[in-house]
Amino acid sequence: MNSPATRGRNGRKKRKASRGRSRLRLPMRYLLPSTLLVALLAMLMLRGYVHSEILADHRVRDADHSDQVPKDVLAGGPVIDARSGDAKTLRIPDRRIVLTFDDGPDPVWTPKVLDKLKEYDAHGVFFVTGNMAARHPDLVRRMVEEGHELGLHTFNHPDLSYQSTGRIDWELSQNQLALAGAAGIRTSIFRPPYSSFSDAMDNKSWPVTEYIGSRGYLTVVNDTDSEDWKRPGVRAIVERATPKNGKGAIILMHDSGGDRSQTVAALDTLLPDLKERGYTFTRLTTALDSPSAHTPVTGFALWKGKAFVSAVAVSERITGVLVVGLAVIGALVLARFGLMLLLSFLHARKVRRRNFSWGEPLSRPVSVLVPAYNERECIEATVRSLAASEHPIEIIVIDDGSTDGTADLVEAMRLPRVRVVRQQNAGKPAALNNGIRHARYDIVVMMDGDTVFEPATVRELVQPFADPRVGAVAGNAKVGNRDSLIGAWQHIEYVMGFNLDRRMYDVLGCMPTIPGAVGAFRREALERVGGMSEDTLAEDTDITMALHRDGWRVVYAENARAWTEAPESVQQLWSQRYRWSYGTMQAIWKHRRAVIERGPSGRFGRVGLPFVSLFMVVAPLLAPLIDVFLLYGLVFGPTGKTVAAWFGVLVVQAVCAAYAFRLDRERMTHLLSLPLQQILYRQLMYVVLLQSWITALTGGRLRWQKLRRTGAVEAPGGVSAQRRGTGSVPERRPVG
Amino acid sequence: MSAATVPAGTPVAPPAAAGKPGRDRYLDLLRTIALVRVVIYHIFGWAWLTILFPSMGVMFALAGSLMARSLSRPALGVVRGRIRRLLPPMWVFSLVVVPMMFALSWQPVKQDGLWWFVKLAWYVFPVGAPPFPWSSGDQAGLLEDTWAVQAAGPLWYIRAYLWFVIASPLLLRAFRRLPWATLLAPLGLTAVIGTGLVTIPGETGNALSDFAVFGSCWVLGFAHHDGLFKDVPRYLTISLASIVMGFGLWWASGHLTADGWDLNDIPLAQATWSLGFCVILLQYAPSWQELPGRLARFDRLVTLANNRAVTIYLWHNLLILATIPLIDLLWKIPYVDAHLGSTVEAGYTLLMTLVIWPLLALMIVAVGWVEDVAAKRRPRLWPDGRR
Repeated sequence: MNSPATRGRNGRKKRKASRGRSRLRLPMRYLLPSTLLVALLAMLMLRGYVHSEILADHRVRDADHSDQVPKDVLAGGPVIDARSGDAKTLRIPDRRIVLTFDDGPDPVWTPKVLDKLKEYDAHGVFFVTGNMAARHPDLVRRMVEEGHELGLHTFNHPDLSYQSTGRIDWELSQNQLALAGAAGIRTSIFRPPYSSFSDAMDNKSWPVTEYIGSRGYLTVVNDTDSEDWKRPGVRAIVERATPKNGKGAIILMHDSGGDRSQTVAALDTLLPDLKERGYTFTRLTTALDSPSAHTPVTGFALWKGKAFVSAVAVSERITGVLVVGLAVIGALVLARFGLMLLLSFLHARKVRRRNFSWGEPLSRPVSVLVPAYNERECIEATVRSLAASEHPIEIIVIDDGSTDGTADLVEAMRLPRVRVVRQQNAGKPAALNNGIRHARYDIVVMMDGDTVFEPATVRELVQPFADPRVGAVAGNAKVGNRDSLIGAWQHIEYVMGFNLDRRMYDVLGCMPTIPGAVGAFRREALERVGGMSEDTLAEDTDITMALHRDGWRVVYAENARAWTEAPESVQQLWSQRYRWSYGTMQAIWKHRRAVIERGPSGRFGRVGLPFVSLFMVVAPLLAPLIDVFLLYGLVFGPTGKTVAAWFGVLVVQAVCAAYAFRLDRERMTHLLSLPLQQILYRQLMYVVLLQSWITALTGGRLRWQKLRRTGAVEAPGGVSAQRRGTGSVPERRPVG
Repeated sequence: MSAATVPAGTPVAPPAAAGKPGRDRYLDLLRTIALVRVVIYHIFGWAWLTILFPSMGVMFALAGSLMARSLSRPALGVVRGRIRRLLPPMWVFSLVVVPMMFALSWQPVKQDGLWWFVKLAWYVFPVGAPPFPWSSGDQAGLLEDTWAVQAAGPLWYIRAYLWFVIASPLLLRAFRRLPWATLLAPLGLTAVIGTGLVTIPGETGNALSDFAVFGSCWVLGFAHHDGLFKDVPRYLTISLASIVMGFGLWWASGHLTADGWDLNDIPLAQATWSLGFCVILLQYAPSWQELPGRLARFDRLVTLANNRAVTIYLWHNLLILATIPLIDLLWKIPYVDAHLGSTVEAGYTLLMTLVIWPLLALMIVAVGWVEDVAAKRRPRLWPDGRR
């Protein structure tokens, strides 16, 4: 999804990897992103938990024998007191009604129920579930404030006869926790889910009742069941709820779990009717003339409850935010793919037309700069490939204080047209500037010391300069070592980056980077913007943006191929990508003033810069949401849809990649590693980007200033000694 | 207690004298992990272990590789040598188990007639998985009444191994002529007979099904031995393997059994997941002369496990059963009975995991030397490579 504008530049990876400081930073770079991810997942888990997506158990047991239930209980009242060894039951005195509402609070229906009760000056009992109470704490508070009683109804409504005592304890304590957090109280009355009358107690549910009694709770079932959840009509509800002959009763109703308009309407009949017949509507404990079931919660338990309820509140919101984020990123990603396909098609059609030309064929000699630092293994192949160039060139190898005899090696080759310039170790930008000073010709080609050109590369690369408006040209860097898995992934990334991204940027006139591995500059343009700068970690992006601001065109030459060796270990890849993404951010920040400037600079600042920021910096930041939701969806469902959506995105990716491969006439077999790339490689890239963001937002500004003052990314003193340790031999380690 | 009727793999790959140069310690390590995994799985019965590390596939792949190496010599001698090394340890096991079954009143099955006695002969030469009584002794006895099921259950592996050994000369020739077809043919066979498309009844069906499920792994061992992994780009093998494994998981998700994600019950998923897993393990096979770094401390354990692989595999399930009466002795300690009852109850499987290893060690000392005798080596009590 995010092929960063690939550069094929890894000459510096070795220097970076060997810096002591980067080792010290290692724990932090893993720690911060993983903390963020864990926090996000924890929030999603919490949400799944209170939405009964986790730990929910929807089994309901059928009725069983009741020979083990005490006779007194079966024939007794609806309030079962099993707190001591002998279970007793209590009945509601005559002319008293205890209205009970189960399963709430519900954001729609509970307020209406509460309004009705208020209207008729009635009180009742709400048996709330922990997950609903945690999600709607304000309603719980209102119930208490308006004089109703609260009862426990477990956390997420399982049939307790299936659950272990541990789980029952947990259901009760989580329910109390939610009450404490919402209203600052605990309660001592409980109603088991799926319960009805005392005489419906059976051998499976009785032990649960006994156990709950032993924990100090009164179990409250009912006398009359309104069966309002079946929505039988207002009259039927009223009829079923009304007790016979002026007896007292506990009436079961529901304020949650679906459309409860009939319940609310039934209250409108039930309350005045029964009132007329001399009934009072009270709390349970009032009806039984006993002290209130509520006790205030204080101290640590109160704070724990409040913390839980606020965490739930955050998690409720976070999912909303994430869903919006996901929609944005989804739209952005698809729009980007669409745009890339369209524009790269237009670009390819334009430059591949038979009569297309940049102007008069350019055949005057050009200078090729090869900055090299400890490139003993590769430099001979590099220089030899240049010597075979079809275009007249002078080759300038700038040895940046190598300690492995790179310069001697080149001199010993005794090739004509090759010059070696030695300098004290000062970093790649300084080496390039030095090379520019030594260059004789007005067009300067730059490459890395470990890159190999084809004979036609230089010629293809410089043709666009026939157009006097062109200030710089990007070539097509290709991964040479593509047989390993990590190599194949980078190969896909490069092919997409060069054939889709770069063509798109070319058409839009906002190419963000001339790759260090293969690029060419008009010397005049370089001089106007002051040459390579050491302000950022990505001097190639920096200079490209500077050229845009100076009004030069920057174009892509698809046939100027350069073969480069991609990092083979995760460690090297990490270092390289961290520099790229952080350097890109630095460059964007450095050129931020372009947004308000006039002329070509303003045009770039208002079109190119936001575009590049959006796709290279912002979008990849949101992209991990896709993976977070993939995980969430896989675990909590809908699994099928989640997998289908993931494959959908994969197919879009594959189509784009296949088109890019076709444009470059590459073999399609490497696309087989695309699914795995989406699972392993992409996430690595996110974390790198996230790391860059964190650096930028925390110590970034500071380091920036420091960088400016010291003037060199690579501290010159004592560096070579450190470098020797890790050497430039790439670790051939399998992908982790 | 997990079902021993769905056993995991074993290493019958007869270890050449461990410690000799030329022994690939990476493969030895894999075999050890596979063995430990099998034992743990048979104690806990966790289905996900079959996904985490498909032991049987790995064992067959390793055995296939060694078989290909041996087959540079005349085939008949190699096959005979393999069988000779396999059977004596098996006979010792049978000598203990079969009399026990009869002592606990095992009756011939009448419907089978004479055929039943033929099946009994499989305890001597296991071309089929030997029969066993589904219930033996009684529930209140020292061992559970399903002990015979559990003890003899893993024997299917011996049968499968025997089949592979006998088929190897032919398989290897086919593989060298048509590598891809030979590698993938068992998968195709599994897709036909392992999915209910065609059902072959009886022990023939079982044997054929096991042969098909792990055939690709075995042939993959040939490929490893022939060095073919170097000829195919690494990204290609890994990508294809992950696609095959993805298919396996998908297939499993649609064919879950009572045990959930236990691949032992889902042939096509087992075949594909194991194959992909082995491809990745063998693609990155580093070919160690000795265990590197921190792994070095496990050197003796790895050597021992490889030298006594057959013993460990044959006996482990019976020994797992034997841990139960041993652990139950704890109740005889008054303090435990009074205070730690629920703790022991809760940690029962953990205790089994602790007790099984000393029992296995005892068994290695008691009967392990038969492996050496079968291999015409000087018998050793504790071959952990120490000199």
